[in-house]
Amino acid sequence: MTLKTLRGRVAFIFDEIDFDIDQIVGVKNIKITDIEELAAVAMEAYDPDFRNKVKPGDILVGNHNFGYGHPHYPPMRAMRHMGIAGVVCESFSPGYWRGEINMGFPQATCPGILGMVERWDEIEVDYDANEVRNLTKGTSLPIEPLSDADRGTLSAGGLVGYIKQREAAGKNGQQQEGS
Amino acid sequence: MGYTIAEKILARVSGKDHVKAGDEVMAKPDYVIAYDFPGYTDVYFRQMKEEFGIDRVAEPDRYAMFIDHMVPAATPKEEELHIITRNWCAENNVPLYERKGIGHQVASEVGYAVPGAFVVHFDGHISQLGTFGTLAMGIRHSLLEALVRERISIKVPKTVRVNLVGTLGRGVMARDVFHHLVRVMGPASCRFQVLELGGPALSQLSTEGLQTITGLAMFTGAITAIVNPDEERLAYALPRARKKIEPFYSDPDAEYSAVYEIDLDQLEPLIVIPPTPANSRNLTDYLGLELNVGYLGSCASGRIEDLRVAAQILEGRQVAPGFQLNVVPTSQEIMAAAGREGLISILAEAGAFVSAPTCDYCFGRMGTMTVKQRAVSTGTLNVKGRMGSPDSEIYLCSAATVAASAIEGKIADPRKYMR
Repeated sequence: MTLKTLRGRVAFIFDEIDFDIDQIVGVKNIKITDIEELAAVAMEAYDPDFRNKVKPGDILVGNHNFGYGHPHYPPMRAMRHMGIAGVVCESFSPGYWRGEINMGFPQATCPGILGMVERWDEIEVDYDANEVRNLTKGTSLPIEPLSDADRGTLSAGGLVGYIKQREAAGKNGQQQEGS
Repeated sequence: MGYTIAEKILARVSGKDHVKAGDEVMAKPDYVIAYDFPGYTDVYFRQMKEEFGIDRVAEPDRYAMFIDHMVPAATPKEEELHIITRNWCAENNVPLYERKGIGHQVASEVGYAVPGAFVVHFDGHISQLGTFGTLAMGIRHSLLEALVRERISIKVPKTVRVNLVGTLGRGVMARDVFHHLVRVMGPASCRFQVLELGGPALSQLSTEGLQTITGLAMFTGAITAIVNPDEERLAYALPRARKKIEPFYSDPDAEYSAVYEIDLDQLEPLIVIPPTPANSRNLTDYLGLELNVGYLGSCASGRIEDLRVAAQILEGRQVAPGFQLNVVPTSQEIMAAAGREGLISILAEAGAFVSAPTCDYCFGRMGTMTVKQRAVSTGTLNVKGRMGSPDSEIYLCSAATVAASAIEGKIADPRKYMR
């Protein structure tokens, strides 16, 4: 399965290790469901003007064990709403990883990424060549290959699409009773 | 080359003779468990119908629902969510456990912690079924896959082995053991892997203590934790087990990505300072810090051993004036046992506010803190705002440390109150 190469600017670098993504919207806002409201409070603590700077296709970069703690879905819902197309980190926390891949939100593990990019560099995440390229600086680094299931999930746009696609390919177990 | 207990269980549920870490398999969970929560179960129920046309699950006994958050309901909306869950369970003939206590604990009590079984939930603290040799994983919204399909896709994880040796000292609890693991191994040490517990000291640890350690596994980065179940664990789990499976054990030559030896003799009480569960520190460095609140409860602690130690410390003493001590037994079964033992009266007479089992104190829905308040807590997490205002603080520690701190209204060392 071919995945689209992401191309965008590094919109922000979360350099904190074990970063708790709920801090992106703030725990006090974690129960907000309205997407506009969420986007309005996102990144308040990091860059209050973030929403006006970000462009569709931009990419986030993070440090090791990104998503540690009890990650919830609203922070990255807000990020996607503002146009963020994916996240590249030194490494991820498994709960965060599984949750966001299931949303169809591209993630890439790239050891060394923090040393290779600066904010607003233009980068590419190429899931076929398994590398991240810094187009601004002309450098590149390998990314860890996705598992078949993760690749399938991303290519189907998320878990629901993936389950249906697998079914069409006859790869699911016995079906539940339909109506 | 031998196999780990996790590999053996995943081989069984994917219908294969053997699987190895790194293999991608389609596994059939023995049990699919959830508690109701807005944005989770209500959405799954809707997606099952609308996206997949499923009105009824095929094998209702493979599923279990718990109502343990928002208990008792405080708003009509919360009660409406519970009604959706009750109706779904009734329509699907799926067992529902309501007002029995915190689901991760109740799941063991009512027999879902079958040694050798594979269990999934959206919440990672289900890992505590690992105490009984059950491979139980929190898979977040992947739970939908387990609700609409017989099998889920899963990559067989690697395993980190921890051998426990030595004996716990007075005033040191399993809770301290866990935070010690995070400290010496690191909060990412078991990322995407299984944390397997073994070693000669395992048999000295209480079942409650192992539930505490396995239930918090996610804060080492692990996707779950598991114990090679010994006699004491089997004696609890087998009579309650809802199905018969031969328990599995890791082979002596099983392949581990890392092996640690943890000497319990060396342990002291620890405290985890805000704002992350990665921050384990020596308790003695924080003695005397002023407090407003103490919370003894949650799926991680709040079991009979925790209530006993709190009662031992608080018997004949009083909670400091102005200090709010909330004691929440983890389940009805535990609360009843504590009542029979006279623990509830000791705690109440000492000035504790003893609540019936609920998850609600752990995430700030009850016992909510405001700006500049500070708690010691046996809850699961100490991130900003977890128990109320983002400008309040949570220090995680053992039940013994919460009880001792309640007496002084400051962070205190439980050892001086224990005979």
